Amino acid sequence: MPEQPLDPDTVAQRLEEALRSRTPIPPLSEAGLVDVVQAYAVQQRWNARRLREGERLAGRKIGLTSAAMQAQLGVSEPDYGCLWASRHVPQTGGRAEVAFDTFLQPRVEGEIAFLLGRPLHGPHVTVQDVLSATDAVTCGIEIIDSRIADWKIRITDTVADNASFGGFVLGPWSSRARHEDLRLVGMVLSHNGQAATEGVGAAALGHPARAVAWLVNKLAEFGEGLETGDVVFSGSLGRAVPVRRGDLVTLEMAGFPPLSLRFA
Amino acid sequence: MPALTATEAQLLERVRSARERRAILPGGGVSELTLEGAYRVQEALGAGRVLRGHKLGLLSEAKQRQMGIREPIYGRVYADMLLGPAESLRRFLQPRLEPELAVILRSDVPPGTVPSKARAAFSGYFLAVDVLDSVWQDYRFTAPEVVADNASGGGFALGPVLIPETDLPTQLRLFANGTLRSEGPTEALGDLGARVAWLADRVGGLRAGQVVFLGSPAPAVPAEPGIVEVWGAGGVLQFRLEP
Repeated sequence: MPEQPLDPDTVAQRLEEALRSRTPIPPLSEAGLVDVVQAYAVQQRWNARRLREGERLAGRKIGLTSAAMQAQLGVSEPDYGCLWASRHVPQTGGRAEVAFDTFLQPRVEGEIAFLLGRPLHGPHVTVQDVLSATDAVTCGIEIIDSRIADWKIRITDTVADNASFGGFVLGPWSSRARHEDLRLVGMVLSHNGQAATEGVGAAALGHPARAVAWLVNKLAEFGEGLETGDVVFSGSLGRAVPVRRGDLVTLEMAGFPPLSLRFA
Repeated sequence: MPALTATEAQLLERVRSARERRAILPGGGVSELTLEGAYRVQEALGAGRVLRGHKLGLLSEAKQRQMGIREPIYGRVYADMLLGPAESLRRFLQPRLEPELAVILRSDVPPGTVPSKARAAFSGYFLAVDVLDSVWQDYRFTAPEVVADNASGGGFALGPVLIPETDLPTQLRLFANGTLRSEGPTEALGDLGARVAWLADRVGGLRAGQVVFLGSPAPAVPAEPGIVEVWGAGGVLQFRLEP
């Protein structure tokens, strides 16, 4: 069905409105957004617009790092989005709280996060380049969210929708932890006091740093890279857990103190 | 690209065309060339490729004496030489394996850097394998020949863990298909800061993000199809060589 060529700025506008009004929109893929490159163009326009309006870029997030998620969306590589500083949920003593009404239909994931100590620009970036350029590592809870109704997403929907980013909580940074074998770092994510999903570092493309290397090499296709101080969420180590108002999630990851998040 | 003398240009052409034809050359015949000239050939050989760092070779004084030189040699590491988890042996001519350590620099190391400062630029260590691949038959070569042939650089594998200074392995062991084939003490690598400072002097400085393969403390062994492992300090690097 021939449609009007999709204008990236118009689609970005619809996503921004959905975000602000907390009213999901029908899948963009059903409205003709079927090209991943075009979807990244939408994401780029949306982020550029938010930055103009005062948003700050805290770093990046990587999505679809597990074989299961890739199979579900029929893709063979991850995707990425931007971490908005306004969606950083601070923690005190490992405990954080966020208003449930910040989100539309949130889910949470347990991940390993990287703090860049020097810039990284692709192509040709390897796992070892990432580890060497990393200042510190920590565990993080990523809140994912979809501006697409009922999470009925295809790959172009989530890419345009800033890789379904919602918000994030960071544990304390550890420079020692970058010397750990990050493939072997295990985690349990609990939901209202019950273990809901488990995982290990190797679940993110075989090595969390491999996911970051993929990101850097992918960004190079768009003439971009990572800069000193950027935070990178390297991909979920387990499944995404849907949450409701009042829920408590707790991330326990080997080598790090526990981290909890309450949806008030 | 450096200007080459007629002798250097001739050697460049021999090595380059042999690599292209996948032919092995009889070595030992080139001795009139200076080492500086050989390094110019080495640089010209890599024209157009993406430089990722360097490797050190001939670290032992005994080997150096045998070759008639008084310092180690270095080669260039290009992006296309970094190996994945499974590689075909067909990309090499006469591959041999050495267990190594490698560093990726977290800051620049300019010429004239003192060894302690050079060492402070290390972000940690990776277990590594240097897949040597000389164009010279049976690795019989003169010093200028091996230098011109990029210090026998063939391919490189790196381990998954950034080993901290405090856990520096004392021994590296290389296994092929489950059998211990080569091992050596890392103290044989010498003063690592001094090695990298020397390299920085010789190449006009090293940049943050560049890799340095620090040389092997153990004898090279012929590569065979199957699983290659390097063990050191409680960690392991493994990859496959396909026929």
